[in-house]
Amino acid sequence: MKMEEMPLSSPDNTKLEALMHDIYSELVEDACLGLCFEVHRAVKQGYFFLGEPDQESMKEFEIVDQPGVDIFGQVFNQWKNKECECPNCNRLIAASRFAPHLEKCLGMGRNSSRIASRRLARNNMSKSESDQEDNDDLNDNDWSYGAEKKGEPNQNSPRRSKSLKPKNGEKVLVKRSKYNHNTGISYESLGPEEVRSLLTMVLCPSRSQRCPQHTDEQRRAVRVFLLGPPALHSAELESHSFDIPDGQMSRLQWVESPNVSPSDSASSKASTNHPDSRRPKKKKTLSLNSGGGSGGLTEGSGSSAQSSLSLSSRKKKPKLSAAFISSIYDDLN
Amino acid sequence: MFPRFTFNITHITGALTPWCRFTVFAVFFPSDLNTMNKEARLKATINQKLTETGERERLKELLRAKLTECGWKDQMKAQCKEVIKEKGLEHVTVEDLVVEITPKGRALVPDSVKKELLQRIRAFLTQHAS
Repeated sequence: MKMEEMPLSSPDNTKLEALMHDIYSELVEDACLGLCFEVHRAVKQGYFFLGEPDQESMKEFEIVDQPGVDIFGQVFNQWKNKECECPNCNRLIAASRFAPHLEKCLGMGRNSSRIASRRLARNNMSKSESDQEDNDDLNDNDWSYGAEKKGEPNQNSPRRSKSLKPKNGEKVLVKRSKYNHNTGISYESLGPEEVRSLLTMVLCPSRSQRCPQHTDEQRRAVRVFLLGPPALHSAELESHSFDIPDGQMSRLQWVESPNVSPSDSASSKASTNHPDSRRPKKKKTLSLNSGGGSGGLTEGSGSSAQSSLSLSSRKKKPKLSAAFISSIYDDLN
Repeated sequence: MFPRFTFNITHITGALTPWCRFTVFAVFFPSDLNTMNKEARLKATINQKLTETGERERLKELLRAKLTECGWKDQMKAQCKEVIKEKGLEHVTVEDLVVEITPKGRALVPDSVKKELLQRIRAFLTQHAS
């Protein structure tokens, strides 16, 4: 090898140049040969001409260069004025406004849901309510606080109209006041006596055994009037009395003392009577009930009604007793 | 020139391309090197070196990349297309292509590529000469 390097390093530049060109042409021919093989293979396999488009497709997909038309020859902005029908309210809405509208219409989102629920509630009201109630409810909307209340007047409305009638309003009123205590109600729409009964229920929710609207004297008077000296049926009366925080009683009370504000009297009496009256009364009730059956039949003026009371089943008692006692109050007055 | 060197093995070399003949000599008959012409020995050695060091492959790769880059390949393909249309798609052979394409290819190589390649070959030669 070392012997061969001698001529290379010697100043034989022409030979060196020739050598270089030989190598170069060799490389170029190699590249050409590679290309020829490649092309030949492509031709024989049939994919050599796939790269270039044929005349038909060139014409078909020619770039269109006309005003008002895109490069495919289509009119642009053709979807701009498209209108969609809202599936909820069946109105036609511009496509660009459809999403926001749908959001509001269906009540998705935070604000929209409030609006939508309010609107729904209002629609329901106007459908189901009688016209005299409508005004009330519209006024109520301003200050009532909670979504459930919106629908509530509907449920109350028939009862309210019934409660205006004097006789059969009692039980209904009791029911309703319970209901109101749970869910809340628009106080504006109630009459004064209803408010009163309501307040007694609300302010004294644990329901004292004793009627908070009557003083002990009144109660005692009734007891004496009904039963005379023996205290046999007083327990029954007591137990009945707490079932009558209703329209009848309160209306009577209202008539008697119109100067006293209903809430004051109710609250004060509830607070004073309630705690002390409970325990002794229960004992009384137990002891007296055990022996109470026979004596009541023979006693005073209301004996016939009394007997029916004591014989009737427990469930029916409150209703009957309420009517009965109200008549007694009328007599007293 | 060649018959003078290929004394006793003419039957082998006749079937081979010129530079292969040198390689065969160099590999199989090292004892004959002394008798060989200086130039021939030089060529044989250089070719061997080119292959051994991998420089030949590197040069090929470089050339291919440069030719693709400068658009020589697309030009050559266009030439090929003409040849193919001329001969007919079914009847074209590799020989036809080589005969038609190689002279054009050699002519179409850009000067810059040619210069760069020669530069690298020279660098290789001087590096291995020292």
